[in-house]
Amino acid sequence: MKNGLLFSAIVSAVALTGATGSQVAAQGAFPQREVTIVVPFNPGGASDMTARIIAKGMERELGKPVVVVNKAGGSGGVGMSQVARSPADGYTLSYIPVELVMHKALKLSDLEPATFAFVGQTTVVPAALTVPVDAPYKTVADFVKYAKANPGKVRVGNSGAGSIWHIAASALEQNQGVKFNHIPFEGAAPAVTALMGKHIEAVTVNSGEVKAGVDAGKLKILAVMTPERDPAFPNVPTLKESGVNLEFAGWGGFAAPKGTPKPVMDKLSAALKAAASTDEFKTFITSRGMIVSYRDAANFTKFADDQYVFFNGLLSKMELGK
Amino acid sequence: MESFDGLMSGFAVALTWQNLLYCLIGVTVGQLVGVLPGVGPTTATALLIPLTYGMSPASAIIMLSGIYYGGMYGGTITSVLINTPGEAASVITCIDGYKMAKQGRAGAALGIAALGSFIGGIASVIGLALVGPPLAELALRFGPTEMFSLMVLGLTMVVGLMGTSIVRGLVAMFFGLILSTIGMDPISGALRFTFGQPFLISGIDLVTIAMGLFGLSEIFLGMENLSAVGKPEKLTGLFPKREELRGTSGAIFRGTWLGFFIGLIPGTSSAVPALLSYSIEKALSKTPERFGNGAIEGVAGPETANNSYCGGAMIPLLTLGIPSSPTIAILLGAFIMHGLTPGPILFKQNPDFVWGVIDSMLVGNAMLLAMNLPLAGLWARIALVPPKLLYPIVLILSIIGAYTVSNDLWDVGVMLVFGVIGYVMKKLDIPMAPIVLTYVLGAMMEKAALQSVKMNDGSLMGLVESPISLSILILATIVFLGSVYAEIKNKKAMLAGEPD
Repeated sequence: MKNGLLFSAIVSAVALTGATGSQVAAQGAFPQREVTIVVPFNPGGASDMTARIIAKGMERELGKPVVVVNKAGGSGGVGMSQVARSPADGYTLSYIPVELVMHKALKLSDLEPATFAFVGQTTVVPAALTVPVDAPYKTVADFVKYAKANPGKVRVGNSGAGSIWHIAASALEQNQGVKFNHIPFEGAAPAVTALMGKHIEAVTVNSGEVKAGVDAGKLKILAVMTPERDPAFPNVPTLKESGVNLEFAGWGGFAAPKGTPKPVMDKLSAALKAAASTDEFKTFITSRGMIVSYRDAANFTKFADDQYVFFNGLLSKMELGK
Repeated sequence: MESFDGLMSGFAVALTWQNLLYCLIGVTVGQLVGVLPGVGPTTATALLIPLTYGMSPASAIIMLSGIYYGGMYGGTITSVLINTPGEAASVITCIDGYKMAKQGRAGAALGIAALGSFIGGIASVIGLALVGPPLAELALRFGPTEMFSLMVLGLTMVVGLMGTSIVRGLVAMFFGLILSTIGMDPISGALRFTFGQPFLISGIDLVTIAMGLFGLSEIFLGMENLSAVGKPEKLTGLFPKREELRGTSGAIFRGTWLGFFIGLIPGTSSAVPALLSYSIEKALSKTPERFGNGAIEGVAGPETANNSYCGGAMIPLLTLGIPSSPTIAILLGAFIMHGLTPGPILFKQNPDFVWGVIDSMLVGNAMLLAMNLPLAGLWARIALVPPKLLYPIVLILSIIGAYTVSNDLWDVGVMLVFGVIGYVMKKLDIPMAPIVLTYVLGAMMEKAALQSVKMNDGSLMGLVESPISLSILILATIVFLGSVYAEIKNKKAMLAGEPD
């Protein structure tokens, strides 16, 4: 266990230092050796598992080992910054979470979409407005009406100050002109637990996180915040269907350091596309309450830039980091 | 009676040879990662999940939960032998366990820990089977407000670990509290004491601090006089003596209850029941002065409590799908990956699976006892290895362990710094355990306090309006006044006896 971890860490360290001196391999010859994917979060989470399955799939395409290394810390900043500083030869990739487009506004790091060359997007992480099953509101409209009548009284749990689900609740708040009392928890799970114990009124976290509570008959989802209905909850309407003009979701993808040669990028993108189309990947992503959503390099780059603008707009109106 | 039938039928699943094998693999891996500092059960479980893809869901969960509770057994070993806790729960064990090893009683310490862990583990699993679901509902009443009061109670218990000088104890407690504020403020997201260093945004890793303060400082201290320290003359009592067993039965009994109930409450840490158990044993003991000098109850109680915590913590997961700790959260991920959603429906739809897993925990605990009792004597011999040979090995293991915390040299550096801090503190006679414990409690307490205030519109009244919270706060006040009174009485007695 430990040896495996350490070994992969040493391998990647050696690979990093070794690569600086050597020239990027000739066209078509990539990859000459193993590729490392840095996951900027701890092992076991949804991001880590996503990267591990993708790594397995890419390994089959590239014909060389694809190693996953976890570098947690700094809301993903430690791992992503390390990849950004790595040689642009395609041998070091990073899992890119939605947090990338939030880092600058939250003053966590200088990372922004322009720091990376995107390989492709793999997943969308849908948010869902969830309340206790016996709550007095049945629809989003009821909920918003209640919130308008009781400004600052509706306590909405999120997964941490400035986290993606905090911003989801703020987006709804700004869109509908209501005022919530945002309660941060360390991760989505404690927020959902507090909701089940009725210590708070609602959460706007990933629908996968509330599935157990919904199945246990303790929670109900008022709406999902994605453009389309969540296949895991086909009977739950979207926000748009409920009359709220808002789309919101987290997402995940992969990127290489800026300046990675085009032929190498093409090869990586092709491998990623194949890995994201396997049944194993699709089954896993669906089971974890996420949605498979592949975007190629060009589309992902444009999407990330748009999201960067969208999130900066939202974050500038929130009181954070003070 | 339904539960009883379920418990019996589950053995059909738990006792197939494949599942016995997976259970054995799980508890062995758990035991090993518990022994190695740095890699905890959380990481081990996460990294082994991909291996379970091809297994049946029952086998997969049996193996993964084996790692979880097996890790609790393993953590004891390094705490007792080399004063290096592998996780927060074992910090308490260092206090008396390491003293016992220095006196040549490592075998007895490890033996009683294995026995206590076994009893705690089995009792909590039976509790899980018989009274799990209604208790889980009760546990949901613990919100941030109640959590805050529980942490206050925990802090008053730390007072009991201060040692001889209140001032030194307070220095240690405040140092721990200050450390716990490093990183991103959980409520506003503001960065505190990070000095622009991204590694500090999520705070300092607990295991890194503990390895430095406890393990490394011990080595630094030992190196002052390499040929003369640390080694007991001979090993006495490879197994706990009969009267020791009788003396610890109360500690084990109380530890079982404590661990089980605290395990039920989502968001706690296994260090909490261990700490409470130690303090209660010390308070109840007729000879409290033995605590800190190798009292066997000081090992038995906490070790029992942290194992029965595991069984308790499975209840919110199995009955409501609530992950109450990081390792349990990873287990929840494994459930979902195998197409199972934990909760009441799981008991109805897959009774074979649920009861199979529950029964496998009984089997696994028995395996761990069978492994650990004979091994206790062998492990104890490590105490006889000359420091010249032992220290470099421990040092290397610690460095590797710290490296694996974040796969970066950063944590190795942090550990070395805390090693030096620990060395200086030992020279100044400042106790270490309060630092680590207030670090754990402080972080949870601050978060809970801020959440509670925010949920009650900026008012502290929520703390006394909740009946659970109010009762805990009253209990905390009693404990605090009691220990202040005892302290003053001691001081007076000392002053009267021998003018200092």
